[in-house]
Amino acid sequence: MSVAEAIVVQGLTKVYKGRLGDGVAAVNDLNFQVNQGEIFGFIGPNGAGKTTTIKMLLGLLFPTAGTALVMGKPAGDIDAKHKTSYLPESPYFYEHMNAGEVLDFYCQLFRMGPGARKEKIGELLDRVGLAKDGQRALRQYSKGMLQRVGIAQALINDPDLLIFDEPTSGLDPIAHKDIQDLILSLRDQGKTVFLSSHQLSDVERVCDRVAIINRGELVKIGSMEELLHAGRTIITISKPQTGLVDQLTPVVEHVAAEGDRVRLYVESEETVHNVLDMIRDKASLISVVPQRQTLEDLFVEIVREVRK
Amino acid sequence: MIIWAIAKTTVGDALRKKVLQIFLVVTIGLIVLSLSFSQTLSFSSQRGVSADLMMLKSFGLGLMALAGIFISLVLGVSLIPQEIERRTIYTILAKPVTRYEFIIGKFLGAILTLAITTGLMGVVFIATVVLKAWGAEQPALSKVAAQGITGVGTEKVQVFDMNMLWGVILIYLQFMVLSSVVLLFSTIFTSTVNFFMGAAVYVVGFASTIVQSLGGAEGAGPFLKIFYKVVFYVLPRFDQFNMPNQLLHPEASIANMGIYTMRMFLYAVVYALLALVLAILIFQNREV
Repeated sequence: MSVAEAIVVQGLTKVYKGRLGDGVAAVNDLNFQVNQGEIFGFIGPNGAGKTTTIKMLLGLLFPTAGTALVMGKPAGDIDAKHKTSYLPESPYFYEHMNAGEVLDFYCQLFRMGPGARKEKIGELLDRVGLAKDGQRALRQYSKGMLQRVGIAQALINDPDLLIFDEPTSGLDPIAHKDIQDLILSLRDQGKTVFLSSHQLSDVERVCDRVAIINRGELVKIGSMEELLHAGRTIITISKPQTGLVDQLTPVVEHVAAEGDRVRLYVESEETVHNVLDMIRDKASLISVVPQRQTLEDLFVEIVREVRK
Repeated sequence: MIIWAIAKTTVGDALRKKVLQIFLVVTIGLIVLSLSFSQTLSFSSQRGVSADLMMLKSFGLGLMALAGIFISLVLGVSLIPQEIERRTIYTILAKPVTRYEFIIGKFLGAILTLAITTGLMGVVFIATVVLKAWGAEQPALSKVAAQGITGVGTEKVQVFDMNMLWGVILIYLQFMVLSSVVLLFSTIFTSTVNFFMGAAVYVVGFASTIVQSLGGAEGAGPFLKIFYKVVFYVLPRFDQFNMPNQLLHPEASIANMGIYTMRMFLYAVVYALLALVLAILIFQNREV
């Protein structure tokens, strides 16, 4: 069965009962959907309910209320698991095994025969760059190498949906970049990626849409274009003719002079065109730099606002 | 395939536990050393080869039971909680693995590990006793041949006593039952609580005849009698698996150890299956 949405979450709620019978809502009435083929960012501060939501999507935790459909099936359904994979934050494996043995174990969980397993393991080790280290015990692996094993196990079943929980946490820049590239290559293959991360620059770079949750509730959801409004543009000129700066001052938001250079801060796109017309032949144009609000700016703004 | 994969991984992980290795090595070492104990103790020379063998069997079986109980507890208590603490369970249950497959795989892994450890201890135990019996038989036979003495004054020594094998199997069966109980507890309790709960079940189960007699005692109130009866029928009767007396004293009441072992095998399998089904039902609704 083909479904347009990889994940559909409706009224998803998880309340943890306290010792005194009181409840704490880790996730409260969450509603969102993840379309097939998109990279969906799921961000929020610590304790926002990201991992609880992921665990409910995987069937590890049971919702107090609401529903979650994964690949058209209820969360935790075996058919859904065949099409899904999961990479936890800092994955742990049986340390006495080597990477090949770990992958062999996970391949068996997909009921793969010995021949298919052997072929798959070689292919995966090669893909994550561990072909030469596949026979070394995992206890000798660095964090980055363990993360690569984690990625390899997540790719065994060629899943349609990949759920990544902090995949780049604690990695060096090279490993970090490799994982970013992998996520982008998965999108090129038409896969859906559900990415929970604190690395907001990563999320901004690779995600098509983003959901921001705080204290278990959905605060904002949308595409990058929808969420991040265009910022101001900085136009830098030099050697302006006498009187030009005075003419520009009422048009622009702010003027800053440094030596023979002048920086003009402009809010709207229309004004940018007007300013460029005004300075033509009356100054040397150095640069025009449009500035955009970052996901980090938006995230901090939203979380602070909610906390107030 | 899934159950077998989980079982194999559990065995590999368990056999690498330092505490299990140390217990196994120490137990095997003590069984071998018991050979020299029996030779140096003065009373054995007074009582003869039979007394030596009796002591060896008693000491060996006792050691195996003690080590096995400890190994069963250490192994069993961590079966599920450790998977959750280490977070290995997340990547396993995120795959197309049902919860019952996971529980059965873990249990199978535990009893396979116990089979390996009990097998090792059992082989060393039986070899030690056979060696002792064979060593005692040779001088006796040469003396008989040289002096032409027949019958009077010579002691008949049985080199291989089949009851030793039944004894080892019975000890293994009680480990299997204990493991199933501890696995059931591990779906509810933390490792530490589980260890003490498992140990308590073993002690009370071992004293089941006492519990039974308490249930029928004159002075006990009706509620207490019901309580003792429930404990007697619900907890496994571990004392029934410990038959060193019958092994050491062939004249004791059990006529056929083979048939008795078979009966206990059925009891152990049924009890372990019931505990396993209960563990599956609980784990089905357990959040991880």
